Amino acid sequence: MLISRGKQRFLTILTYVVLLGFSVYCLFPFLWMVVTSLKPDAEIRTVDPSFWISTPTFKHFDNVLNNSKFLTFFKNSLMIASITTVASLLISIFTGYALSRYGRFRGVKLFSVAMLLSQMIPGVLLLIPLYLVMKNLGLINTYASLILAYTTFTVPLCTFMMKSFFDSIPIEMEESAEIDGCTRVGIIFRILLPVSLPSLVATSLFAFLNAWNEFMFGFVFINDEAHRTLTPGISLFKGLYQTDWGSLMASSVLSVLPIVILFVFLQKFLVEGMTAGAVKG
Amino acid sequence: MRQLELERPTKIKRKFGMTLREKRIKRVAYLFVLPAVLFFLAMNAYPLVTVLWDSFQYKNLMNKALSGWAGLANYTEVIHNEYFRKALWNTVVWTVLSVAGEYVLGLISAFALNQKIKGRTVFRAIIIVPWVVPIVVAGLTWTWMLTPDYGIINLWLVKLHILDEPVYWLGELDTALLTVVFVNIWRSFPFFTISLLAGLQSVSRDIVEAAAIDGAGVRKRFFYIVLPQLKTVSLTMIFIHVIWTAINFDFIWVMTEGGPLYSSETLPIMIYRYAMQDYNFGNASALASLMLGFMMACFVIYYMMTVKKNRR
Repeated sequence: MLISRGKQRFLTILTYVVLLGFSVYCLFPFLWMVVTSLKPDAEIRTVDPSFWISTPTFKHFDNVLNNSKFLTFFKNSLMIASITTVASLLISIFTGYALSRYGRFRGVKLFSVAMLLSQMIPGVLLLIPLYLVMKNLGLINTYASLILAYTTFTVPLCTFMMKSFFDSIPIEMEESAEIDGCTRVGIIFRILLPVSLPSLVATSLFAFLNAWNEFMFGFVFINDEAHRTLTPGISLFKGLYQTDWGSLMASSVLSVLPIVILFVFLQKFLVEGMTAGAVKG
Repeated sequence: MRQLELERPTKIKRKFGMTLREKRIKRVAYLFVLPAVLFFLAMNAYPLVTVLWDSFQYKNLMNKALSGWAGLANYTEVIHNEYFRKALWNTVVWTVLSVAGEYVLGLISAFALNQKIKGRTVFRAIIIVPWVVPIVVAGLTWTWMLTPDYGIINLWLVKLHILDEPVYWLGELDTALLTVVFVNIWRSFPFFTISLLAGLQSVSRDIVEAAAIDGAGVRKRFFYIVLPQLKTVSLTMIFIHVIWTAINFDFIWVMTEGGPLYSSETLPIMIYRYAMQDYNFGNASALASLMLGFMMACFVIYYMMTVKKNRR
């Protein structure tokens, strides 16, 4: 053992204390969000707030779901995020494969560097020209504008994630498939993807989260209620409901719900994907 | 393993020129990257060139009479804007404090998670949670907790006699930006945690044990063995996050919109105001180009640092 038993025990206790502290720090806002959304107004507006809800109510949820466009926003976000996920996954599978197996060609290598650099170009800088492009193409207030933008910004990272997964698969598997007469696309879809299913989940989760959470482009490209996505929608509720914190928190709970459900089930994949993208990529 | 495989085709190429098979493969390779290249050209490269070009043009949607080549007029106008210096300073404060805070919290939590204790995966999952929620929701929830009337943080601080009366954290000139920094740290530090944890787990146990046998204490092992091994991960993470934080628009916009009285306005917010409120795309592009130049400078510094390190 590297340290004495006394020190070890001290270290273990310290670790628990630190981790418990972090857990409270990380979870408290969510807890408070849920508690507030279930409280009647009289209990929200008190100088002596408590976690105990004496008369829980779904009034705020009812208000958000039935008296606002929340469901429209939710549906829009869901659709845009899903299409973005599929599109960027398809693109990054092929690009990632090319980067992994054909890095020896100068053009491919050059593009991989360009893509890496493009990660550093912030959305705000591209906001103006992209807005003008969308305007000229008549895509303002359409789903297509956001799908195009989100796909562009998720493809590089997804590509690097896919590349690092493909890197870890031995090339012999492909060679034998090729001898058996499998085409290149067949190799990817029949041999590589089934093997890297967890990585595929991680990558799509990442793309989905990115599209679901994005705010700025949704805020700028969409001006009409029917096409608005969730994040700008919620930020506009702030002006609409003023200090009706119960309803605001109810809408927050509802918009976080799908992510939390996804996260609980797929947490492990996400961690693997994040580390693959951040450290190896 | 991989090294060998990559070398095989090059050898063939050297001996016989490019084989037919290699030519076919090359075509496939370029076909595979084509969709991504198209996206890249249309949505990254073209807009980027437009920004640079527009920054030298008079381009104002409110005043279409004025157009054409502007030279450096946009740049001088932006730099002489009375809030430019304030915004620049705010950007620096916002970036440095955020990244520093995130790094410290990330390091502490990564070390804690690296210990062999029960329930490690549960703690890890809990710590990542802030990172997966939308910035808008994080901002909104913290705004509610920080409100002067009925906000729980104010009420508790008053109850504990740390404060005499509730503070309007997001509405005071000197606390608004710092409050947003605090919330940004809360949401962004998990990314550091995960990356640093991965770095920690790759620290070889043999080296640590060897150092222990040589008589290095816990503290010495930490500072001389473990920390240096985290250097590459740390450097990369800090570099990426300096850029991601400096250009972040969402957080400040959602929580304060740059207010009160521009006290939390950073350069991205300023770009947005120029473009979407004044419709002065020339000025907005000039400011965007300035930021781009600044980031290129950052990148060059980072590149030099890593190259220097690799040479050693």
